Amino acid sequence: MRRHLKQSGVGIRYGANPDDKSKMEGSAIKVNRSKNGEDFAIRVSNLNFAYLRDPVLRGVGFELEKGAIGLLGPNGSGKTTLLRCLLGQVPLKSGQVKVLGYDMAGQARLARAGLGWMPERGGIIPGMSGVGLVAYLGELSGMPARDAMQRAHEVLHYVGLADERYRKCDDYSQGMKQRLKLAQGLVHDPDWLFLDEPTSGLDPRGRISILELIRDLAWNKGLGVILSTHLLADVEAVCQEILVLKQGELLAREKIDAGSREPRQVFEVEGFGDEEAFLQGLGALGAEIVPDNRLFLVTLDLARLEGGASAPGTDGYDTAAGVNAILAVAAANDYALRRLRRRPVSLADEFYSMVEA
Amino acid sequence: MPVYDRGYTHWEPSAARAWPAWWVIARRGIAEPLKRRWLLMLLLLGWVPAIVKGGIIYFKLKAGDIADLLGGGWTSIEPEGFLSFMEGQRFFVFVFLAIVGAGLVSTDRRDNGLSLYFSRPLGLTSYIGGKSLIVIFYYCLVTLFPVYALCIFAYLIAPEAAGLDLLLLTPLRATVYSLLAGGSISLVLLAFSSMGKRSIFVMVWWTIMVSGTETIGAIAEGLGRESVQAINFLGQYHNAGSLLFSSPPRLDVNPWLSLLIVLAWTAAALLVLRNRIRPVEVVS
Repeated sequence: MRRHLKQSGVGIRYGANPDDKSKMEGSAIKVNRSKNGEDFAIRVSNLNFAYLRDPVLRGVGFELEKGAIGLLGPNGSGKTTLLRCLLGQVPLKSGQVKVLGYDMAGQARLARAGLGWMPERGGIIPGMSGVGLVAYLGELSGMPARDAMQRAHEVLHYVGLADERYRKCDDYSQGMKQRLKLAQGLVHDPDWLFLDEPTSGLDPRGRISILELIRDLAWNKGLGVILSTHLLADVEAVCQEILVLKQGELLAREKIDAGSREPRQVFEVEGFGDEEAFLQGLGALGAEIVPDNRLFLVTLDLARLEGGASAPGTDGYDTAAGVNAILAVAAANDYALRRLRRRPVSLADEFYSMVEA
Repeated sequence: MPVYDRGYTHWEPSAARAWPAWWVIARRGIAEPLKRRWLLMLLLLGWVPAIVKGGIIYFKLKAGDIADLLGGGWTSIEPEGFLSFMEGQRFFVFVFLAIVGAGLVSTDRRDNGLSLYFSRPLGLTSYIGGKSLIVIFYYCLVTLFPVYALCIFAYLIAPEAAGLDLLLLTPLRATVYSLLAGGSISLVLLAFSSMGKRSIFVMVWWTIMVSGTETIGAIAEGLGRESVQAINFLGQYHNAGSLLFSSPPRLDVNPWLSLLIVLAWTAAALLVLRNRIRPVEVVS
């Protein structure tokens, strides 16, 4: 993603009164529920988990700082189980999971005060009104009754259920239920929000609207978000980093930031002039050239180009090196370029290449 | 700034006190059934025996032995009479607990509510404690609270005749009995509730447990096999309660054996709850 997170690693808690400008404009109050004050991270090491005798997670390990993280994987790859391990909902027998500084094997209840959870299936308590349900779960999270009710109204406004908050949640549509589940996950203002297939069963408009809310929370409000889904477009829209699971193993961890992870990049080139000399020049760089109508698709191995091996500030490849190389060859061969752009590599392409490899 | 313009704001805790999770669960669970009008009517019906007994106490204290003609231990204002009264309420105990308790865990299991509960900072003890308190409350509503009311009533109409036993010891015995019996019964009911995802399933099992065992016990007693009364589920509680109320056993079963049976039921219920209540369904 070509965006930068505004958030720092530490959650900022603003005053409850939004009219209090001094609090809103800088002198923020930090309410820190983390045990050691600074540790908002998630640390997982060598996590193995099995339901009965079926292994679901095998040797999973990673560290996450607050941010928008996508958890990708085919069905049955262990995404939901991993989230449940992070919530401490299942007994951890092998490996270590630390969330917000708490060891989830023995201190899960303490950590859960700072965690929000939006389950894929169910997740509403029939017979309750929307606002009643959210306030009830707020109280169960340790909020005083009045605070919980006030927050319930606020978060229901935020997720767009203000007009429906007094209706029984049994009567909600699928989209409204998803919003309600998001609201209950937010009511106690968690540091991390774990979302399990949040757009499941939604129409395109509802999906976009939920994704916008999640994006706002992750990018503007300072919440850490882990989005578990098999919908790659959802992850592309919201996340800055992905974890890919396959058959319970962590297959890859990548930043969704440009296509610079792969050394081989494809460029679309179109121009006029001495075409033969231009193509020979590119061939000298080791490029593979495929005509595509009026275009040439030029595949360059950035690792072989001067300056292409390491992009400044990243551990990937500098795509500018590829562009510069093509420009240099064009200039040297009097070839006027009409079009030169890197063909974007979709997350789907990369995901499937990883999973199917 | 109006709430609809505010967007998402972070929560800063106020100085107000947060209630423990078990109390939050119990409070909601107690309040929810009271919203149903027909249940309130049924509740009133459950108090009719107490009103009748109140009238008898009035006769007893004002008109001497005439009240005894109205019928046996149930009319007595001795401790035994109050145990008999609570025993006589078993129909309402059966009906109320079936209505209130059957769906307490099964509904949460059916709608994946357990996952929501256990994503919060509460443990199994808080969850079971809160749910159990709901059942205990409704149990006491038709057993213990009428006893309190009757004791107070007796004191009001004849303070000199009521005596220390009626004013202090009987309510105390009734309280201890109701809390212990109610607690144990609630755990058994919750265990049934945790074994299914549909309330109707739980109600069927509860009916077999209460009415079925009582009927079998009664038939066996009629055939001269009194020891079979040991399977009478609610009967064991009343029989064991006779130890507390210093009254003759209610069944032809040793009250200590009844106490052991009750303890065994409670332990089994706890074991079931521990295994069945968890945020994740494990399917082999």
